[in-house]
Amino acid sequence: MIKLEQTEFTLGFIPLTDSAPLVAAKEMGFFEKWGLDVKLQKQNSWATLRDKLHTGVLDAAQMLAPMPLASSLGVGCPKTAVITPLVLSLNGNGITLSQQLHNEILTENNINQITLPLAGYLLRSIIKKRKVQNRPKLRFATVFPYSCHFYQLRDWLSSAQITPDEVDIIVVPPVNMVGHLASDDIDGFCVGGPWNAQAVRAGIGFTALTSYDIWQDSPEKVLGILQAFYDEKPNTVLALLCALKEACIWLEDTPNRFEIARLLSQQQYLDAPVDVIAPSLIGSCLTDISSPPRAVPSYNQFYRTDDILINIPEHVRGEWLLSKMLNAGQLHNIEVPDDIVKTVFRPDIYEQMRVLLTAKN
Amino acid sequence: MQYDDSPSKQQTASTKLRILLIDDNKQRVASLTDVLDNSRYIVSHLASPTSHLLKHVDLIKPDIIVIDIESPSRDILESLTAISQYAPKPVVMFSGEEGTDTITQSIESGVSAYVVGDLEPKRVKPILDAAVARFKAFQKLKNELTETKQALASRDLVEKAKRLLMKKKNLDEDAAYKTMRKTAMDTGQKLEDVAKTLISLLNTF
Repeated sequence: MIKLEQTEFTLGFIPLTDSAPLVAAKEMGFFEKWGLDVKLQKQNSWATLRDKLHTGVLDAAQMLAPMPLASSLGVGCPKTAVITPLVLSLNGNGITLSQQLHNEILTENNINQITLPLAGYLLRSIIKKRKVQNRPKLRFATVFPYSCHFYQLRDWLSSAQITPDEVDIIVVPPVNMVGHLASDDIDGFCVGGPWNAQAVRAGIGFTALTSYDIWQDSPEKVLGILQAFYDEKPNTVLALLCALKEACIWLEDTPNRFEIARLLSQQQYLDAPVDVIAPSLIGSCLTDISSPPRAVPSYNQFYRTDDILINIPEHVRGEWLLSKMLNAGQLHNIEVPDDIVKTVFRPDIYEQMRVLLTAKN
Repeated sequence: MQYDDSPSKQQTASTKLRILLIDDNKQRVASLTDVLDNSRYIVSHLASPTSHLLKHVDLIKPDIIVIDIESPSRDILESLTAISQYAPKPVVMFSGEEGTDTITQSIESGVSAYVVGDLEPKRVKPILDAAVARFKAFQKLKNELTETKQALASRDLVEKAKRLLMKKKNLDEDAAYKTMRKTAMDTGQKLEDVAKTLISLLNTF
């Protein structure tokens, strides 16, 4: 057993379906097994979670995959060296449209049914018509400026030759998404679970596609830690990684997916019904209140025996995210060091954890 | 949702600094509004977190935004400058939670100011004043930086065009520069624009 520099640990998370590894590590005793007394601290805002990590109020946090890069580059916040030694999940987001937009797509394109996943080009005639009639642009919401959700939405639109300025893209916190869709403030959103399923169950939205239909198997949530924390307490970080990795492995089995859905539904975590949390965890994408779900086996991925790469923060994954930030114009006027990805994405620390985990089990 | 914007307040709004306060604690709202009565600030209140912040920012066009650090709406504020073309505003954040005071010490972005602990009435005005002043200073620095960068870029362009002209037309440095300056004066263009045209022309032939 390695000697821990610190045993009490605060870990920040945002109540979303893919916080499953954190909750599993806590509830199934993996943190305890590795000698850690972890407090999971629920956060309402990504910006606040980030600031708390930067200032040490949180020791580590579940982050949107582009966030450690944004922190280390000083985009939208004071420059702070944040690293990621572990990918917590792949995929998990969905694009849900309002029922009204759903109907408009059918009418405008003269079709009876939409083939899923929805091809973005079916929006083109609507965008054009609204422009001619001088009506407001289609308005989509995403969760944070530096999020896969934002880049996925942009990529999906761009695959249909729709430029970002032909629509409005705004940020709305996940908890307010369904409400905004219900009140017609937005025409659609890109968000993680359980909010897509929630909109469908409530009869408010139509989930047109998942992020897996846009980017296959790319990192969605990662573990973020201050570089300074790792330098000072490497063993504590390794223990944390071992526990979280074991939680990811535990989440591979379908029976455990049901169990985690039940745990997540509790008030201290998502505080939401199991019937909106469970579907994506078992590879089912609810589409519309009157239609059957769609099978998306990779909807939420945490670990797979036949794919050992899932949790590795490979440099190529960092480069991909960096290119998306560049494309979105977010690095304008920002100095990007050549080795930024190598300093933020740390497969070397992951490898130490893997060796330790193999030796222990 | 509560949105307080009575006619009497609107009349004086032009001379006062408008605060958009995002908070669902009624008591805190009342005490803040009281403290700022007869000050240069005027408070519009929005109950978080279900309210539609963007609409109200559009409507009120606040000069300063005051928000509870635990409000989900923080992410909306964060996005205003990042993905919308919205002029940044000073944001003051307060926190009732213990332990978050360390955040205050290390935020140096200049755009936001954190308030330690709760909104203590006698501290409110100085904090708002400081936030506005810091923000102005920060914006000024930022603008100066952008201007300097532009000036440098323009000098590079002129230099490059001059070198090309010297090489292709076999002129000395002084003659090349005078040619460019004369073209600029004759055509009423900026030296930078002449340089751009020259570079594209000379590189083509």
